Amino acid sequence: MGEDAVLSCRGLDVAFGGNNVLRAIDFEAGPGFTGLIGPNGAGKTTLFNVITGYVRPAAGEVHLNGVPLIGKAPAAIAAMGVARTFQTPKLIPDMTVLENVMLGMDGHRRLRDWRSILSTPGSERTARVQALDVLTEFGLHRFANEPVSALPLGSQKLVEVVRALLSRPKLLLLDEPAAGVSAGDVTRMTNPLRRWTTESDLCLVIIEHDLELVSELCSSVTVLDFGRVLATDSPDVVTRHPDVITAYLGASFAAERG
Amino acid sequence: MKQRSPQVVARRLASLVAIVAVLVVAVVIPNYLNGYSLYILTEVAIYAIACLGLTVVIGWSGQVALAQAGFFGLGAYGTAYLDSHGISWFVAALITAILAAVIGMLIGLPAARLRGFYLAIATLAFGDLMGQVFNEWTSVTGGPAGLPVDLVSIGSLGETRSLWYMSAAFLAVSVAVLWHVSRTRWGRCLRAVRNIEIATGSLGLSATKYKVEAFAVSAFLGSIAGALFGQALTFITPSSFSVTLVIEFLIVVLVGGVDRIAGAIVGAGFLVIIQEALQSTGAYQRLVFGLSLLVIVRFLPSGVMSLVYSLGRQALAVMARPAAVDEEIEPTVKVAS
Repeated sequence: MGEDAVLSCRGLDVAFGGNNVLRAIDFEAGPGFTGLIGPNGAGKTTLFNVITGYVRPAAGEVHLNGVPLIGKAPAAIAAMGVARTFQTPKLIPDMTVLENVMLGMDGHRRLRDWRSILSTPGSERTARVQALDVLTEFGLHRFANEPVSALPLGSQKLVEVVRALLSRPKLLLLDEPAAGVSAGDVTRMTNPLRRWTTESDLCLVIIEHDLELVSELCSSVTVLDFGRVLATDSPDVVTRHPDVITAYLGASFAAERG
Repeated sequence: MKQRSPQVVARRLASLVAIVAVLVVAVVIPNYLNGYSLYILTEVAIYAIACLGLTVVIGWSGQVALAQAGFFGLGAYGTAYLDSHGISWFVAALITAILAAVIGMLIGLPAARLRGFYLAIATLAFGDLMGQVFNEWTSVTGGPAGLPVDLVSIGSLGETRSLWYMSAAFLAVSVAVLWHVSRTRWGRCLRAVRNIEIATGSLGLSATKYKVEAFAVSAFLGSIAGALFGQALTFITPSSFSVTLVIEFLIVVLVGGVDRIAGAIVGAGFLVIIQEALQSTGAYQRLVFGLSLLVIVRFLPSGVMSLVYSLGRQALAVMARPAAVDEEIEPTVKVAS
């Protein structure tokens, strides 16, 4: 990696009270999928919260294409092209699916609000068409006008991914996108995501417990355990790493792999 | 995109017919009403404008703001004062409303950090402060003795009809603008801020910015309504803008439905008409408001308009059934495979 890293984290330390949640974390991600795995409480989501500006680290740096992010507000970081999803989707229950995903564009459309209020509905219509196109890619267009709360969790996670993509991010952080999602919905999510990463140089970091999925998607995987980086390598190497097997995968997985 | 479902076509047609009908009625109605009835209708329009401000700030941005009586009074006093100093009424009302919007933003900045109960108290205190100003700043407001208002008459319409047309026109413009806004970006972002403030940052939206803007819009509408109210009263005193008014505004938005544009109009109609009908009964007026609020909060917590909308949707669904059978049979809770 190195030069082509879009996201680069160096020496991140985070402590909540006396508890060191992240310790001297180095993490990089380039175009394509990068996996972030580790047992519960390893600090994966905290790392996302640091990158998106919700948690300020005690030490360390985060750069997006060489621009420092630490100290910026979440909205400012999002405006630079960092989008994310949450473990439990944070959607607006009383809005339709279409309205929810259009919010992804709203923070990024370069029009100023007053212009968008005074302008003809043209820009709104263009935005709606773009949103419907991406909903179609993810098989959600038929629910565009349904209230988002009427959809099952799996579909809500898809909606959140569409909302994030519509902000045209350079870096997209997905927090357990496949947890609680049916196999069909997972495929419906990963196929278009693959397309997006190849077509737009999107850099995608994915926290996921489903190792098959991680191995299938990611070229590089970082393992966190108790706030430390255990290993960073290709999925094949990482899943054979002895420390990783004991810390995360457990004896049964080790036996399975021989 | 060009092919529209029968429901959409029916809804658009119905809306268009309704809009034209309402506008025609608004234009010709003074010919069929006596001065008193027209005055009541004007009052409904004025309350509706003020309460549209509450629709934005309470209903959309989710801030329990109780400062509207203060902005209402500011609009009445400011416009009357500037008007009596040689500025045309319309310009005076606009200047005052812009001033109100700026004050609204100044209140909104600290208020964006307050929530629920604390925000309610802080904004209530602002209304009280404005009441003190109206009482004490005698050189401008006339103090407790009050301030006479120069009445506006457009052409040969006379004062009552002029006020009706001014109020109805401003209400129509406010409704049109807010309706457009509610369906586009700004309205969406406001509702997002209300619902998922924690996540709005990750969408690149600043919650504070939208909350402050909601306050400004609300104050602007409150001030314009106050300017019109001054015309209706012909003589304004501080007691016209007391805490009672805050409660009246709340009745309007709660009865009508706090997040719906039509709710402000329906609620204003309810308030003003009940007030007039029960004027002679004194304390019973309060009793009726109290009971009706209890009934509404118990059975229609989202206001009367929520019932109207759900009935309307059902009617449209029934009308459009033959063409929409396919869509209805398919389950809405599963993603297409």
